[in-house]
Amino acid sequence: MQLRYIRFKAMGCPCEIRFFHHDDAEAERLADICLTEIRRLEAKYSRYLPASVTNQINDAAGCDPVMIDPETSALLDYAHTCFNQSDGLFDVTSGVLRHLWHDGLLDTPPPSEFEKWLAIVGWQKVRRTATSIALPLAGMEIDFGGVVKEYAADATLALLSQEGVRDCLVNLGGDIAVLGRLANGQPWEVGITHPELPGQVIASIQVGSGAITTSGSYERFIRIGDKKFSHLINPVTGIPADNLQSVTVVAPKAIIAGSICTIAMLREQEGALDFLNSTHLPFLSVDKLGTCHGSLQKE
Amino acid sequence: MKHKSSTVAALTGAAMSLPAFAATQPAESTISVSLSQYHEADIPSDKVVVGSNERYDIEVGKFKLVTPIGADWSLTVDTTRETMSGASPWGTLYGTTGEPNLIMSGATISESRTSLAISSTRYTDKASYTLGVSKSEENDYKATSYQVSGEWDREDKLSTFALAFSYSSDELSPTDAVLYGRVPEANQRSRSISGSWTQVLNKNAVLQSGISLTKKDGYLSDPYKLLDVRPDEKTQWAVSLRYRHFYDNRNAALHLDYRYYDDDWGIDSHTIDLSWHQNLGVRFQLVPRIRIYSQAEASFFEAADDYSLPRDQPQSSDYRLSGYGALSVGLKAIYKLPAWTVSLSVDQYRSDERFGHNKSQYEHPALLDFTLTNLGLEYRF
Repeated sequence: MQLRYIRFKAMGCPCEIRFFHHDDAEAERLADICLTEIRRLEAKYSRYLPASVTNQINDAAGCDPVMIDPETSALLDYAHTCFNQSDGLFDVTSGVLRHLWHDGLLDTPPPSEFEKWLAIVGWQKVRRTATSIALPLAGMEIDFGGVVKEYAADATLALLSQEGVRDCLVNLGGDIAVLGRLANGQPWEVGITHPELPGQVIASIQVGSGAITTSGSYERFIRIGDKKFSHLINPVTGIPADNLQSVTVVAPKAIIAGSICTIAMLREQEGALDFLNSTHLPFLSVDKLGTCHGSLQKE
Repeated sequence: MKHKSSTVAALTGAAMSLPAFAATQPAESTISVSLSQYHEADIPSDKVVVGSNERYDIEVGKFKLVTPIGADWSLTVDTTRETMSGASPWGTLYGTTGEPNLIMSGATISESRTSLAISSTRYTDKASYTLGVSKSEENDYKATSYQVSGEWDREDKLSTFALAFSYSSDELSPTDAVLYGRVPEANQRSRSISGSWTQVLNKNAVLQSGISLTKKDGYLSDPYKLLDVRPDEKTQWAVSLRYRHFYDNRNAALHLDYRYYDDDWGIDSHTIDLSWHQNLGVRFQLVPRIRIYSQAEASFFEAADDYSLPRDQPQSSDYRLSGYGALSVGLKAIYKLPAWTVSLSVDQYRSDERFGHNKSQYEHPALLDFTLTNLGLEYRF
């Protein structure tokens, strides 16, 4: 069994796939299948490609409903569950708030700007059936960014597993799905970057079959003056999350770990820790002061 | 005890409806055909008093189609055609040496059997349900059977429970009944229930345990034997354990199966099956296997037909009811291409009274030795 290691860029992030296979030609075919699947999901849900499903839906905002396929419908169902489970904090319509907190801003935006952008945010305003979606207000947008990368990691792992691969790791920009073990029988090991010291590992975590994702304000952030703000913005208040510097969660699927991270980042004060504790999932959070919490810090 | 968080449960439920995680129904169709040649070794001529010492040669052709229908159904169609020629034991008597010898039929028996089985399976998230009908026909034997079965996965997908019921009704109409005084027409029925539990032990090992109970009634004797009187009821049960272990370092899997069988005719048997599935590269697999079988004789087994007994008292000299054991060794080679699989196997079977755990007084002269060769071809589309 030989370790296959593929590095590539997708969904705006550095990605890697590792798996064990003894046959070169077969390994190449498997790598091809994986990349095709990731590119498919990227093209389908990208905000930057005019023909994507995301843009078809957003372009019709304020107009007619758009017909959607079963995969998109299932992703929206998932997003709906996240919205309900987070008391409205996880909201796939909150993407427009990036206009409120754009890079290069010198000060907190005026209240009128808040009003303008918050008016077109709110999953509860979206009208949906199993086969269609309608964004009722012009300018309203949905963004699959919070789920698609994680889903793609899971889907790629599922593909490899269906093809008979028993030991593999799929890492799409820090959203990591894992199956099986390393050749020496040891579990796969994932390093978590220190939020204040980029490039330094704060914890090294062994993952059995499952997934691990990290959300942090250190990688993707908005700079206003000399202050850094998280790219995650509270869809109710319009204020960027600034409670935690980073959170890492281990869950059976990357899509689940990812949404738990997002919800935790958006909670305020003790709410984040209470929420993380209530999931009973292994996690590691680093708060504003640099204090670590969660069961993963011991490892 | 840890409670599972309701948030995680809700998210898991929603995530599981995503297309990437729903793969249960067969995604592609398969057609498989196979040809087998079954050759029984001749009986030593000094053991045969009357008739031919050449036993059966059977050729078997099989065709099977499995195809998905709609979003969550599949259909399986299975047909078999067998042609047999050779001679079979009619009876047993004590020969001049005091050991049982055989009365064989002439080598003129030539017949064929055709069977057709159709089943359909419905797949849901955590279960599958199958309904099946099969029919088999020979010129002197017709069988119809029905099967209902279900399989349920546990939440963690690490264990599966299966339950199956079957019912079959067979009609016998032996040839030359008047000429040889055979029963002209008879019926038998069989009802069976079986259950199994499959547990994934770890990432490399799976254990399945099963139990089955079968009740048969009707005419259970062999109409072609000169003297064969069996009880008209039979209850049989069996337990089995099947273990699969994949060895990473050897890129091979061990299959170890054990079965214990017991019935109210006095027969009990042990079967051990051991095979090693060695992958050689991605395309090639070699499977050596060995099977050890041992059975105790039926309570009414007679080494030679006893014409002095009352005609309603059970007796049979059928070698399949004697105490004996068997050893079978085989080798199978499988070559896989993306759409095709070709397999070739040869098995050599040898039975001997000495292999049995509870042997009969004499070794039965008709105990079988045979060679089975099989060529299989499978196409996926």
